[in-house]
Amino acid sequence: MSREEIYVKLNEVFQDVFDDEDITVTDATTADDIEDWDSLEHINLIVAVERAFGIKFTMGETTSMKNVGAMVDIIAERAG
Amino acid sequence: MSLVSFNFLVFVLAVFVLYYVCPVKFRKYVLIPANIAFCCFAGIYTLAFVMVSVITTFLGGFLSGKKEWKNGARNTVAAVTIVFNFALLCAVKFYGVMDLVSERLNALLGASSGSWLAFAVPLGMSFYTLQLIGYVLDCLWGKIEPEKNFINYLIFGSYFPYLTSGPMNRYSDLSAEISREHRLSLDNIKTGMIRISWGFFKKLIIAERAGVIVNAVYADHVNFSGWYIPLGVAAFAVQLYTDFSGCMDVVIGVSKLLDINMPENFNSPYFAKSIREYWRRWHITLGDYLADYLYYPLLKSALFIKIGDVSKKAFGKKKGKKVPIYVAMVVLWTAIGYWHGGVWKYIIGSGLLHCLYIVSGMLAEPLFEKIRPALRSDKLPYKLFQIARTFVLVLLGFVFFRAANVPDAIDMLASLFRSPAGEGVIDLSMANYIVLGVSILILTAVDLYKFRPKDTDEPRSVITLTEGKPVLTWLILVFLITAVLVFGMYGLGYNASSFIYASI
Repeated sequence: MSREEIYVKLNEVFQDVFDDEDITVTDATTADDIEDWDSLEHINLIVAVERAFGIKFTMGETTSMKNVGAMVDIIAERAG
Repeated sequence: MSLVSFNFLVFVLAVFVLYYVCPVKFRKYVLIPANIAFCCFAGIYTLAFVMVSVITTFLGGFLSGKKEWKNGARNTVAAVTIVFNFALLCAVKFYGVMDLVSERLNALLGASSGSWLAFAVPLGMSFYTLQLIGYVLDCLWGKIEPEKNFINYLIFGSYFPYLTSGPMNRYSDLSAEISREHRLSLDNIKTGMIRISWGFFKKLIIAERAGVIVNAVYADHVNFSGWYIPLGVAAFAVQLYTDFSGCMDVVIGVSKLLDINMPENFNSPYFAKSIREYWRRWHITLGDYLADYLYYPLLKSALFIKIGDVSKKAFGKKKGKKVPIYVAMVVLWTAIGYWHGGVWKYIIGSGLLHCLYIVSGMLAEPLFEKIRPALRSDKLPYKLFQIARTFVLVLLGFVFFRAANVPDAIDMLASLFRSPAGEGVIDLSMANYIVLGVSILILTAVDLYKFRPKDTDEPRSVITLTEGKPVLTWLILVFLITAVLVFGMYGLGYNASSFIYASI
């Protein structure tokens, strides 16, 4: 799966979780950039991403991803 | 040994001299005898407790981090280590219960009364055990590579400044911080001394005086009424904050003297505009810890994902996805409350009540979204209202936290509205009230200066005010030391009464 393909799918997940069709994420996007992406919603997002790509993040990855780019790196590595 | 005592300062001075007399490469090793000596002051059993925790979590982390092992084996090792250390922590934390048990056992065995556990109590071990358990989980989850050098781990696991009450550190942060080369610098000495003096100022000038009001009102609330009740309640908010954050100032200051940076644990908490923000500003390292090691793992567990799926079907996507969050919050806040003392007044006062605030805030959010424009929520008056409202909600929790028990707390709130049974007396002279008032004003000014509207921003350091003005730095230091010497309330001998958080 290319990074472009990952981003197409990832944008859909973000739009669905945060209920906002205008969200477009990039490598540099962080929780600060999306209003509803707080500590309470974080796991909802993680679980939705796991389901969409059929992968699992470890607990360590779940709490230490610095930005969307780091998330995409892991997806690219695992989703094949 | 209390962190606010003459003995502790002498101890720190001795460590400081030894530390910098040693060649740079060996400085961190000076911390080993220093840590052991500090534990020994609290009793040989405290040292035994620390050593057992350090050794078991070192081995537990090492084995559960073995990637070549099967997950089942790694999980089992981590679980055994965690359960063992929790059991040890519970035995110490609830020593009152254990004391009773051991006394009964002693009576049965015909031995003399008294429990060895009483010796281990002086250190507030909860922070410390949770931190070491965090290390084991980090190894298990592959967040860090397990430490292979026991000496490095021992220095981290027994680092004396934070043994009594935190702040909680991540192994990855603090170990790297301790292991780097440390050099003597005038800047660190100045900053360290100001932080230590500021901690003493908060504890000995503010907390001890506020404590007189608190003790009088809480011990005898039926004889007080009207404004005395809120005065006592607010005084406790001041006492707890200055007591706990003063202790953190001493810990951070001592570490600064050793050229070791510790995380901040407070960030002007009473200026928070919501309860969620308050918890991001109060006891910050505990909040971060519980989010990473309890709240997130809980929400990511198969059970909670299942709860989410079921609730989404039942209540629709938008409302349903919040249900697992609410359930996890109840577990999290019960844990926080329980951690504070294991009795209902703590479970309510610093647990479930805060959970109720946050969950009801979330439930009311759609309504607030609609009326927010009318409230002019971006204007200063509304923000001031939010700060006041949050503070009052926090105070309500403190009533339960400080009262002897839940019925007493409720009765105390009721006495706001009834006339007193007698005439309560607060044994504090007018001069002391003035000293307390002025020092609270100074504290408020400092917190206001440090305050940044966004809670994730680093607080502004007051030290920056004196940059390029060395005379001003020394003047502040002289002022703080003189104030502590002249106005400090020392209690019996030179030891202030123990820190609230270190003793629960």
